[in-house]
Amino acid sequence: MEPLSEAARADLAHRMAAVVGAAHVVTDPAELLVYECDGLTHGRTRPDLVVLPASTAEAAEVVKLAAAAGLPIVPRGAGTGLSGGARPVPGCVVVSLARMRRILEVDLENGWVRVEPGVINLDVTRAVAGAGWYYAPDPSSQGVCTIGGNVAENSGGAHCLKYGFTTNHVLSARLVLDDGTVADLGGPVADGPGYDLLAALVGSEGMLGLVTEVTLRLLRKPEATRTFLAIFPSTDEAGEAVSQIIAAGILPAAIEMMDSLAIKAAKAATGLGWPEDCALLLMDADGPAPEVEHVHRRAGEIARACGARDVQVPRDEAERQLMWKGRKSAFAAVGRISPNYLVEDGVIPRSEIAAVLREIGRLASGAGLRVANVFHAGDGNLHPLVLYDAANPGEEARAAALGGDILRLCIRVGGSITGEHGVGAEKAAYMAEQFGPDDLETMMRVRCAFDGAARFNPGKVFPTPRLCGEKPGPYLPHPAEAAGLAERW
Amino acid sequence: MAGPLDGAARGAGASRPATPEDAVLGLSPRLVFEPASEAEAVEAMQACARDGLRVLVVGGGTDLALGHAPAAVDAVLRTGRLTGVVEHSPHDQIVRALAGTTLAALQAHLAPHGQRLALDPPFPSRATLGGLVCANGFGPLRASRGSTRDLVIGATLVRADGVLARGGGKVVKNVAGFDLPRLLVGSLGTLGLLTTVNFRLHPLPEAQATVRFGGLGAAGVRRVVKAVLAAQVEPAALAAHLGAEGGPLALGVRFEGFGPGVAGQVERLLAAATQGGLPGDRLDEPAAAAFWAEHASARERGPFRARLAAPPAAAEAMAASLEALVRALPGGSAGWYPTLGLGFAGGAPAGAAAVAASLGAARQALGALGGSVVVSAAPEAVRAALDPWGAPPAAPVLALMRRLKAQLDPEGRLAPGRMVGGI
Repeated sequence: MEPLSEAARADLAHRMAAVVGAAHVVTDPAELLVYECDGLTHGRTRPDLVVLPASTAEAAEVVKLAAAAGLPIVPRGAGTGLSGGARPVPGCVVVSLARMRRILEVDLENGWVRVEPGVINLDVTRAVAGAGWYYAPDPSSQGVCTIGGNVAENSGGAHCLKYGFTTNHVLSARLVLDDGTVADLGGPVADGPGYDLLAALVGSEGMLGLVTEVTLRLLRKPEATRTFLAIFPSTDEAGEAVSQIIAAGILPAAIEMMDSLAIKAAKAATGLGWPEDCALLLMDADGPAPEVEHVHRRAGEIARACGARDVQVPRDEAERQLMWKGRKSAFAAVGRISPNYLVEDGVIPRSEIAAVLREIGRLASGAGLRVANVFHAGDGNLHPLVLYDAANPGEEARAAALGGDILRLCIRVGGSITGEHGVGAEKAAYMAEQFGPDDLETMMRVRCAFDGAARFNPGKVFPTPRLCGEKPGPYLPHPAEAAGLAERW
Repeated sequence: MAGPLDGAARGAGASRPATPEDAVLGLSPRLVFEPASEAEAVEAMQACARDGLRVLVVGGGTDLALGHAPAAVDAVLRTGRLTGVVEHSPHDQIVRALAGTTLAALQAHLAPHGQRLALDPPFPSRATLGGLVCANGFGPLRASRGSTRDLVIGATLVRADGVLARGGGKVVKNVAGFDLPRLLVGSLGTLGLLTTVNFRLHPLPEAQATVRFGGLGAAGVRRVVKAVLAAQVEPAALAAHLGAEGGPLALGVRFEGFGPGVAGQVERLLAAATQGGLPGDRLDEPAAAAFWAEHASARERGPFRARLAAPPAAAEAMAASLEALVRALPGGSAGWYPTLGLGFAGGAPAGAAAVAASLGAARQALGALGGSVVVSAAPEAVRAALDPWGAPPAAPVLALMRRLKAQLDPEGRLAPGRMVGGI
């Protein structure tokens, strides 16, 4: 799409300012820099303008103005996503939900909270923790990422093996559609009549509309949590322990694995006295005390039987938090041992962990690169961190190719190219390897039902987007729209 | 609407002319398809697409009457031969099975591996996996394990145009692409023919125990739920039922897990409840089995059945609505999941007017709280006098539902009119 002329851009900014206030429309090139990318920083596109509405009504007006100008809209939360899901497309309006950060209503009798999308994930739990409740999905970025972004990406976290993902905890969402219509999907009461549109919305990566309110299910804080850190000679034994623990009928609240390179990085960042040249399992069991004590002890026995050199139990909550800090800081910590790195996100069947890690090691040697592994072992959600030095010619490209090989390996063993980071801009090409053309075309039909103009977050998820109405269907493409979009893709 | 292309449809995989016994919901199809494989299912749907046939998919028939009767049906597609486990990976705790597989057959396959699908609706030997997904079937375990929506991880469907499409996958954690499997939950065969379903599995519990509280009213149920919270226990199931002709409620709280955990939780609940003046009985194994069988039968009894939904805290409104419905259904009974805010009432209606009146009252009471009452079965005479869905969703939401239907079934041939709003 042709960028707007300066005059047209100024005119649109002026009209947006009339809706949200001049202070909340960003047109200054220096300020726009912030919005060029999300947590995946190597792909950048400058948006034409950024608008920050403060309410659903303002958001609906903003959508109408962008639509009238024929511009795509890229929704944005905190910009912590790791797949380029919030990366702008040329000539777009970025709508940031950062000003919509009120907690609107708490109903503990029925176990839910209604929030605006800009509320930080952890702030939901903070708001209800005093009464003994919490919000379960806990992505590692939970101190900064927003609920709106979590809904877009169907975010997970360390504890989703037992408690599920964002989609299992969203009861309703208010959605602004491409014509400015506002629709409330779902509701706090279960099983409303009709299609489960909310199921399509959560994880749709901002491609169906703008979410301006979300009702979240809350859970009672478990009575007890017991943690251990088990030290294994290698990921082979650690992987086997994960399989055996699960096979024993245990459903851990979290079970995380780190390999020796990830451990080295975490130690460098936190000063933890963890051993090196080993693999670590960090396991949480939670629930009623009588059940947790039993599970904790039994899982520890299994870890030893599978070859754990040591099973360390934290002496107190502070020590437990420190263990988790070591795990949660691992991504960033890799920066201590490598000038640059890529964060991958793939899923494999749990039983394949040891074999896949060996294969990743083999692929890495072949590429002359190192890969650190830190991941959610219970659900087979790998996060291989591909280490490289961009200063060495060709190394960045080799790292990207290795990342792709790892994703293909995940597909080959029956897994997925993403467990929680989303497809975004980064992995759209791999979608065609995990799914067939008919699968993707069916998903795109769902998108067409919501956003016939392909207004929201175009160019994400699907490798070869189709225009709504191309195939037999009730909607004809708007001719100008079709031309503009066809050019952009 | 027999046409020149009819012969083509009849010649496709496993179809036969319908007989009077094939009539469903008062509709007489001309053709019956009984595909025995995904490939045959595709052929059947392609044949129907070619000839413009309106199709009703029939699984075990346990929720066949949920929603409106389709406006018209040319062909019935039965999934009774589309059975079998395609893949079971005990280590990964996942299973893929063809949609016509009954829940009982699946559980029998999984049990020797110490696993189960954590779904326990009534009639497991009739209910099919596809039907459970399409009708959002569930039982007492939903209180801890969630609904079908929380357990389904992948699905294959044949679209109205005969195209086979997959969504999700066979790993539990997976956010690649739009979530087609969850979108199909509750879609009643109006968006496509489900052919394969992938589920996450759970271990069979090593131990279980049930505590029964009898003679309760709505306030008593509410107090037991409070005792559960106070005791910080986590029941696998918490369900109540109402006997024939009304009367007091019986509530069961079941714990599952490892021996010490189950025993400890039972003790704690009994202590907390006794403190609140609510003596509970720990049931021995036969008594517990009898209690849960009684619950399943109380939940779905008679030719008229309705599903009720309300905020969980609105215990009095839910209990009053269930009681009023049961009074209009001689010999009827009801089931209630207090922590979920969901209930079921069923029986033989004394007359269309009496049922319509109590249904209307329940809809008014629960609708005001954001809830709903959906009729899932009714004798034809009663059915004609009722709207099975009640108030439709708000206009923008209903419009989205229509657009979704139009995208996946543009000719409106799959169970036309069955869904809310006549979709």
